[in-house]
Amino acid sequence: MTRLRSRLIAVDGVHGAAVKAAAGRMVPPAARRVGGGVSDWDASGLFEQLVVAQEQAGQISARTLLLLYASDLAFRLRWEIEPALAEGHTVVAAPYLETAIAFGRAAGLPGGWLRNLLQFAPRPGTRYYVDRSVPRKSHSPEGFVEFGCARLTGHPLVKRQELAVRTRAFLVSAAKRANATRASR
Amino acid sequence: MHHPLAVALRHNRKRARDHFANPSGPRGLLVAFEGPDGSGKTTQRKLFKTWLQSEGYDVVTTKWNSSELIKPLIKSRKALHVLSAEEFSLLHAADFRHRVEQVILPALWAGKLVIADRFLFTGLARDVARGLDFDWVLKLYQPLLWPDVVFYFSVSPVTSGRRVTATRVPSFYESGQDVTRVDDPVESYQQFITRVIREYESLALIFKFVTIDAEQSIHDQHHQLRRLFRDGEQRPWSAWNTSAVAEWLTLAGGHRE
Repeated sequence: MTRLRSRLIAVDGVHGAAVKAAAGRMVPPAARRVGGGVSDWDASGLFEQLVVAQEQAGQISARTLLLLYASDLAFRLRWEIEPALAEGHTVVAAPYLETAIAFGRAAGLPGGWLRNLLQFAPRPGTRYYVDRSVPRKSHSPEGFVEFGCARLTGHPLVKRQELAVRTRAFLVSAAKRANATRASR
Repeated sequence: MHHPLAVALRHNRKRARDHFANPSGPRGLLVAFEGPDGSGKTTQRKLFKTWLQSEGYDVVTTKWNSSELIKPLIKSRKALHVLSAEEFSLLHAADFRHRVEQVILPALWAGKLVIADRFLFTGLARDVARGLDFDWVLKLYQPLLWPDVVFYFSVSPVTSGRRVTATRVPSFYESGQDVTRVDDPVESYQQFITRVIREYESLALIFKFVTIDAEQSIHDQHHQLRRLFRDGEQRPWSAWNTSAVAEWLTLAGGHRE
């Protein structure tokens, strides 16, 4: 009997399309056929619904966005990540914890609050990061950081795109501290 | 050299203190009504608001789970019965945070009196009754904004159950069927509200709520409320709220200078 070996891989980064592409390369087609796969952000559809609601309902802060990210992550864990791991498959969570923490830190939120917020999520076995900046112009942002930068209308750093630059800096610094591997683009 | 965000936060801490601690300035007051379903909070809140307006207060009301932005997200998921305890907790914390930034703090800054029909303690009591860790839930609500007074409407689980089920069948999450796994909503409600009230009683002690005996007549409760409000009306602004106000001013598009 073959012993199943489950693996949780995290891929983080500010450039949504690049993160998605890097994650896709990590799960071979054979693994996908038997239940492994990529867990992308907004699997719960919260952010998609938010775009529609926000037109009438005013601006959103970084703290509120991150509470929603955590709720979406709880959904991904329950319906995508944990079931696949329980069956012994490899799951690539892209993005996972570090993208959210770096975005929150860049937006001025305390690291302790961010770590408490996401403490329900298991640590990944392997960590990768995509060191690429967000595109200057993006009409349909694919990543959480791009989405956040576009939505934080009241934040003092958004106008200068400094938030995305700071998020990348926090992410790279955290990745180096944790010996995360730089993913190929 | 400090980053401009850190400098702005520090500057806005001082602004918050100067604005709220100034005895001649627009002080603003935050009054929270807490208690289980069926405790008569809403009736008392309406009577209280009418009385305050007759006394010359500019009153703003905010209700639990009422953010224009987040409420639709919660409502659609509640209808499908698909929320885990964590998701339920996080979404309600998001709804609360959005109202703090968009309704409560702007009104307090303008010197108004805010009545919150349920406050973060509702999230704490329900989430802990659902089995979540108290510290984790409390920290979701940071930076904490403390009301000037919390009126806690105390009733027994039996009274709560009797009043709620007299006119309707409690909903899936209201009756805690997601955690009790009891098919009958009325029986589930009784089990769940017993746990919620136990958490409320602990919170009332820890956070020094002003307890109203909600088994009394509506008239008696209202007059007790008036008296207790008068007793606490002149209390100084809580310095604990400085962080919440400074963050709102700096990061959430709060009142511009």
